[in-house]
Amino acid sequence: MPATYHTIPIRDLNEQALAQLSHDMKLSLSTEDMLVVQQIFRDIGREPTDVELEVIAQTWSEHCKHRIFAATVDHSVNGQTEQIQSMYKTFIQRPSKEIMARKPGFVLSCFVDNAGFIRLDDKYSVCLKAETHNHPSAIEPYAGANTGLGGVIRDILGAGKGAKPIANLDVFCFGAPDTPQELVEGHNIIHPLGIMRGVVHGVRDYGNRMGIPTTSGAIQFDPAYIYNPLVFCGTAGVIPQADIAKEMSPGLSVVVIGGRTGKDGLHGATFSSAAMGEASAAEDQQAVQIGNPIEEKKTLDVILEARERGLIEFVTDCGAGGFSSAAGEMLSETGGNIYLERAPLKEEGLQSWQIFLSESQERMVLAVKPENVPELQRLADTFQTEMTVLGESNDSGVLRVWHSGELVCELDNSKLHEAPTKHLVSVFTPSPAHVGLALDDSHLTDDLKEVIGDFAIVSREPIIREYDHEVQGNTVLKPLAGASADAPQDASVIDIDGSDKLMSLALAILPEWGKTDPYAMGVGTVDETVRQLIISGTNPDKIALLDNFCMGNPESPTELGRLVECAKGIRDAALAYGAPYVSGKDSFYNYFETERGPVNIPVTFLCSGVGVVDDVQHVCGAPLRHRGSALFLVGYTEDEIGGSVYARRHGIVDARVPQTDCAANFVTYKQYYEKALTKGLVLAAHDVSEGGLAVAAAEMAFSGKAGVQIDLDSLPSQHGWSNYVIPCFAESTGRFLVEVDEDMADMFAQAMSGRPCARIGGTTADDKLTFKAGGRVVLQAGIAELKHIWKHGLTPYY
Amino acid sequence: MPHALLLKYPGTNCDAETERALSVAGFSTQVQPIATATPAHVAQAQLIVFSGGFSYGDYVMSGRLAQLETERFLGDSLQKHHADGGFLFGICNGFQILTKLGILPKASLIWNRSERFECVWDRLVKVSRSCPFTQFLPDEFELPSAHAEGRLVCEPGDAQKYLDHGCVALQYADNHNGSELRIAGLQDPTGRAMGLMPHPERFLRPRHHYDPDWSGDSDWGWGYYFFKGAFEALK
Repeated sequence: MPATYHTIPIRDLNEQALAQLSHDMKLSLSTEDMLVVQQIFRDIGREPTDVELEVIAQTWSEHCKHRIFAATVDHSVNGQTEQIQSMYKTFIQRPSKEIMARKPGFVLSCFVDNAGFIRLDDKYSVCLKAETHNHPSAIEPYAGANTGLGGVIRDILGAGKGAKPIANLDVFCFGAPDTPQELVEGHNIIHPLGIMRGVVHGVRDYGNRMGIPTTSGAIQFDPAYIYNPLVFCGTAGVIPQADIAKEMSPGLSVVVIGGRTGKDGLHGATFSSAAMGEASAAEDQQAVQIGNPIEEKKTLDVILEARERGLIEFVTDCGAGGFSSAAGEMLSETGGNIYLERAPLKEEGLQSWQIFLSESQERMVLAVKPENVPELQRLADTFQTEMTVLGESNDSGVLRVWHSGELVCELDNSKLHEAPTKHLVSVFTPSPAHVGLALDDSHLTDDLKEVIGDFAIVSREPIIREYDHEVQGNTVLKPLAGASADAPQDASVIDIDGSDKLMSLALAILPEWGKTDPYAMGVGTVDETVRQLIISGTNPDKIALLDNFCMGNPESPTELGRLVECAKGIRDAALAYGAPYVSGKDSFYNYFETERGPVNIPVTFLCSGVGVVDDVQHVCGAPLRHRGSALFLVGYTEDEIGGSVYARRHGIVDARVPQTDCAANFVTYKQYYEKALTKGLVLAAHDVSEGGLAVAAAEMAFSGKAGVQIDLDSLPSQHGWSNYVIPCFAESTGRFLVEVDEDMADMFAQAMSGRPCARIGGTTADDKLTFKAGGRVVLQAGIAELKHIWKHGLTPYY
Repeated sequence: MPHALLLKYPGTNCDAETERALSVAGFSTQVQPIATATPAHVAQAQLIVFSGGFSYGDYVMSGRLAQLETERFLGDSLQKHHADGGFLFGICNGFQILTKLGILPKASLIWNRSERFECVWDRLVKVSRSCPFTQFLPDEFELPSAHAEGRLVCEPGDAQKYLDHGCVALQYADNHNGSELRIAGLQDPTGRAMGLMPHPERFLRPRHHYDPDWSGDSDWGWGYYFFKGAFEALK
């Protein structure tokens, strides 16, 4: 098949013509970028090929280069301006490096590979990566979510010399499933219910077929997500520490294993770096790839076996940018040749750039010694997948791409990594943050029934059941537990084959808080993640985090201002908890132009955490264990109803959002871990988060083993409150509810001395949730009735 | 030491934990991808195992392509193994494959009554008393299930016949998937071949139960006893 490429004259174009060219070729490059490209080729002294322009466009795309997180931002708060040189370096990388310096030997690799690795024990390491697949899921929910998960699984397969995927997590942000159709503006917009079903089925059909348990997840609902649903997929892996480091050298064969290359997934990276418009659906469908999990499963089998046999020198996934990014990653330093005519194709007639940039799924690129190619081929044959030697590395320092004997791309990669720095402006104006609001606390029981039936709180059971969370036979702390396996859990904990340590996973996402106080959202989200991990049995000194940001238009200063404030929060929280960010990802332009103006999603921050549980005896679940136990609340409850589910249901937008003292919290968490949890004093513990104490207590009682009685006047608080809505529904951070055997209650109180912790009640035989205050009952409901509301909140839509 | 051969197809995904369960019970084990499996592999094994997963994606009737590929690579050696006194065990997708291979009584496993994939723990009732796989299990116990196509259907009258002739190894107590006569597991009349939809390999140890207060057995999860039962019968 002959090469099909064009030379594109750009050296003599004016600015307008350059901009037009970027638009016509769908390069998503700004005029400033195009001027730099023009200069690169003026310096080289020739015109570029279309292949080269496509490679530059995808290399410089927001999706691949994270240029907004690397931008220089002039950030103003109340008229005070500061300049931030790269939010990534300032808020993510620098604090993480500081923490790593404090904890040598814990983080084994980060910022350089597909995922960050932490030390599990003397032999093994675990890693975690989470990504978004938002734009594809908006257009084609099933395939978009399908390939979103497929892609992050390949990230793990391409981490180190090939990590084994052992758990998946998924987090979705949708419009409410009961949104009236007339509120969905614009043509070609899929109703939130269709999005939800398609996305869930897409994740299900990929994750289940791959044989990876989906153990953690969350869903958020907000009208702003109608047009831009968010789909986060994450995968954790395990790998021997000796197989983390990988290095390219001259003289290796570059091999592709797995699926064939086709026209699906063209311009995916550049497409996801632009806003959605009504034209998106028709124009951009080819940007959505088609998934085939069995192809990926075969590829996984080959890679894990090849790694165990020591055949792999280097491996990476074919994600955004396809061969161009994989080959670029492998060959940009040593140099080498890629021969496009060798790539197995799904169909005839692909142009050179299409072969090089296609994002067709299920392909992994490996570098192996030439003498190992036959054994790798035998493995591919054994597992019935296709393998092709695509090229080789050499010591030229230049990656050359050939198509049927013609040189179609020859770029000096050192120039490509110098994308022009963006300059952005952001503004943040703090919102009112009232305390002492007059709230009606005369019908707390009805309030609880409303809050516990809110989509943000209700059980995800219909979705959880569609995902296999038990495959691999290692899920110790499962997403559903209790006497009838339908009560909620905080973190998940996974046994690791060959180790006596366990891996824990947790996540938090609080987009509602960021509407008033994005800094508090950042801090609170990290706090909730860390807290869930520790109370589930994780060693507080062995926690690493992932940051995933999504937002609307970063060129809007007020939108970007919220992101900056959130990023400051996550920096401060990470430093206080000594939990570094080992990987992350961001997604911008999640906004939609309607006839009445743009709809931006709220600034959304997903924090995922991975940790080490030192001993299976430390694992602790959330559901109540038996009657007659003592209940302790750890942490202060304050007048902070802002951002809560109660506030949203009551239209309160100006109340104070929970403020978090991470340094004090961490002292408390460590004391709890060292003196109570690991000493066997705890039966169950549940974080108090969305919905507040009333929801947390009810959720624990959904184990079906006991009722709960709590005295609201005994909650630890520094500043108190003026009505009982606060202790029931405020979502103050740093708190968790602990069930302790009556015989151990004094020891527990002793263990927690000096920290905010009080005995606030106990478990009962009456199967009711009862809150007392001022000596009288202020809230009482049957556990069965509450559970019915909670358990079936999503079932009508499923 | 009895030897177990686990056949792996593209899309098989419970092989690692099933091999672990076999090995914990005492078997020497070998996982063999089907493309390189030969009748000689079968001849060396006392137990042939088909683990869970989605062989060839299960995009056509579950287990059907695996059956055709098995016959292509192994001919009638499995039937011969069975006739010569060998054991066969199929879990989930493996059960589906065994029914297609004609080694278990004729039946099909179709979409669950709910028409969705369900990952849920099932309460099971032991029916047949002649099955070596279930010999150490109590009359009622729990196992995790996870499948979309687990609803067992037969030609009219067959299910009752299987029940009458001792070919029903296990029934569901709750019957989430809507199987005929609540059948969760079948065996051949000798008990040497057995298949079931739930996953014994996922409940090897007590800590893999969803409830930390589970007190059914102090040392092992119920799933262990399937592998132990086969081992004791073969050793």
